[in-house]
Amino acid sequence: MFGTFGGIYVPEPLMPALEELEEAFLQLSQDQAFLARLKELLADYAGRPTPLYHARNLSAKWGAQIFLKREDLLHGGAHKTNNALGQALLAQAMAKKRIIAETGAGQHGVATAMAGALLGLRTEIYMGEVDIERQKPNVLRMQLLGAQVHPVATGGRTLKDAINQALRDWISNLRDTHYLLGTAAGPHPFPTLVKFFQSVIGDEARSQFFQRYRSLPEYAIACIGGGSNAIGLFSAFLEEPSVRLIGVEPAGRGLDTHEHGAVLSRGTAGCLHGMKSMLLQDEDGQIQETYSIAAGLDYPSVGPEHAYLKSTGRAVYESATDGEALFAFHDLCRTEGIIPALESAHALACARRLAATVPAQTTILVSLSGRGDKDLEQVMPRD
Amino acid sequence: MTDRYARRFAQLKREKRRAFIPFTLLGWPDRQSSFSIVKAMIECGASSLELGLAFSDPVADGPIIQQAASETLASGFKVRDAFELIAEIRGLDREIPIGLLVYYNMVLAQGVEQFCQRAQKAGVDGILVADLPPEAASEVVPAARACDLSTLFIVSPLTTEDRLGKIREYAGAFVYAVSRLGITGTEARYDQALKAMIARVHATVSLPVCVGFGVSTPDQARAMFALGADGVITGSRILQLVREANGAEYDQRLRAFLESMSEVCLCQR
Repeated sequence: MFGTFGGIYVPEPLMPALEELEEAFLQLSQDQAFLARLKELLADYAGRPTPLYHARNLSAKWGAQIFLKREDLLHGGAHKTNNALGQALLAQAMAKKRIIAETGAGQHGVATAMAGALLGLRTEIYMGEVDIERQKPNVLRMQLLGAQVHPVATGGRTLKDAINQALRDWISNLRDTHYLLGTAAGPHPFPTLVKFFQSVIGDEARSQFFQRYRSLPEYAIACIGGGSNAIGLFSAFLEEPSVRLIGVEPAGRGLDTHEHGAVLSRGTAGCLHGMKSMLLQDEDGQIQETYSIAAGLDYPSVGPEHAYLKSTGRAVYESATDGEALFAFHDLCRTEGIIPALESAHALACARRLAATVPAQTTILVSLSGRGDKDLEQVMPRD
Repeated sequence: MTDRYARRFAQLKREKRRAFIPFTLLGWPDRQSSFSIVKAMIECGASSLELGLAFSDPVADGPIIQQAASETLASGFKVRDAFELIAEIRGLDREIPIGLLVYYNMVLAQGVEQFCQRAQKAGVDGILVADLPPEAASEVVPAARACDLSTLFIVSPLTTEDRLGKIREYAGAFVYAVSRLGITGTEARYDQALKAMIARVHATVSLPVCVGFGVSTPDQARAMFALGADGVITGSRILQLVREANGAEYDQRLRAFLESMSEVCLCQR
């Protein structure tokens, strides 16, 4: 548990799978051979370490020193590969023959399909119909990599509904199947396990920054859907009070509309997808539909550790609207020649806002969690 | 009152009969039809009722109940309406045990104590929180007991001895055994481990064992009894029957089905 958040709240038939997973994780996360194999794959297959880039043009334009942790350069195009490789190796060690996953933006689906192809695991991906429509290139990539993509037509047909369907599949097939959950949410041990595999983002960024400047950045900023790239970045700085941690949620068309996904800003405590966390819900406890231009942030709950970090004040959580994210997206394209994912553009938007209010030498570390090739159809003006 | 469960199962045992526990979703396909479906259940020999509250994200349910839940919520049917409907159902039969199937977030949204009080006031005897494993049962059980509500728990063929012990500590009314690994539905794929599971539960927990998930015909019910079950729970098949009738006269077909199930359950051992 993370304070009053987290835990295991799942139907009984899933309990044995979670117990098996916890046991395997506890054992393998201490196993030198397993860790060496993961490290080798992350380096030679996925391209770690990813660069830490001082974006000087953007810094000059926005008014503070912006450092980008380039997870967009990781094989697959986003930080999701860190977790997918780790969990796929776990699945293999547990003698599972099949992996399933949910995906919103499609990046986790792609990363899972890559890992499945690499390790010879049959791979099936659940993806909401709305997301299939708006992230088509990633659907094609998953199919090329040999994964089967199941469209999900229930609920709002986005990430939440894909998770529901993946959970149902897992309940029916847990003997030979591992559910490769893509974010630091869901029942224990997933939040801890995903953080373990994503902490490489923060560990690398911290040591890269320190080697260059013999200090730590003043701010670390990441976007929050479920919150896996954010918890991966934050994990290296949790014990460093001088580093201010900011998570950025999607404000969609505005926090005062119903079309956003700002769970920590506007949500209340509850229980969904096997965990206690903050939720966007009505008075009966029915989960509300969310909205964001970024499919990967379109989720009505959030990883339990973020709910906890907010409650203790260790991290603060802000939001960025679709418009602010798009503005930052174009700024990065034009000033640095880097096309960010729309998800990551939310973190950039927050950095831009912050840069305008702090001295120019202030150092701001931003997790550039993914690349934006998948979003071209969304951002290009249509004729 | 939890006594209704005890009385009903004691009576069944005395008469050497098994329990037939039909399930439906409150408020589906509409309030009036929902009432008449439950009325048919009672009149056609149900031993006990299992009534569900529609939830937006029912991960333990198969497509038939999911679809019904989503339609019910779209119709504007609220938790308040569901409790009113239960109170009306209680008016039909003062003795039949009523179990409420819910997801935990709906309980938390009201507050556990208030939820239990409202359930008791409506005439509910037991609650089954689909996503509350025994490890977290202490969050609900004291409040439920204070309201005379039994807490029901699910056991699967993969539930370990260890966890069965925890379930024994909290379980009331009857143990809800899932007949296969999986979500609710009509697909008949019974796990070989089922018989062993029922025996294990009987050896550990001194409560009747009723089997649900995939029990949708009288033959399947008979098969469950041969494996040692004390009762069966049937849900998806009932909703499917109503849906297939497509607004036309479903009552007759529903009653014929319910009677065929009751007949198998209530014939003496």
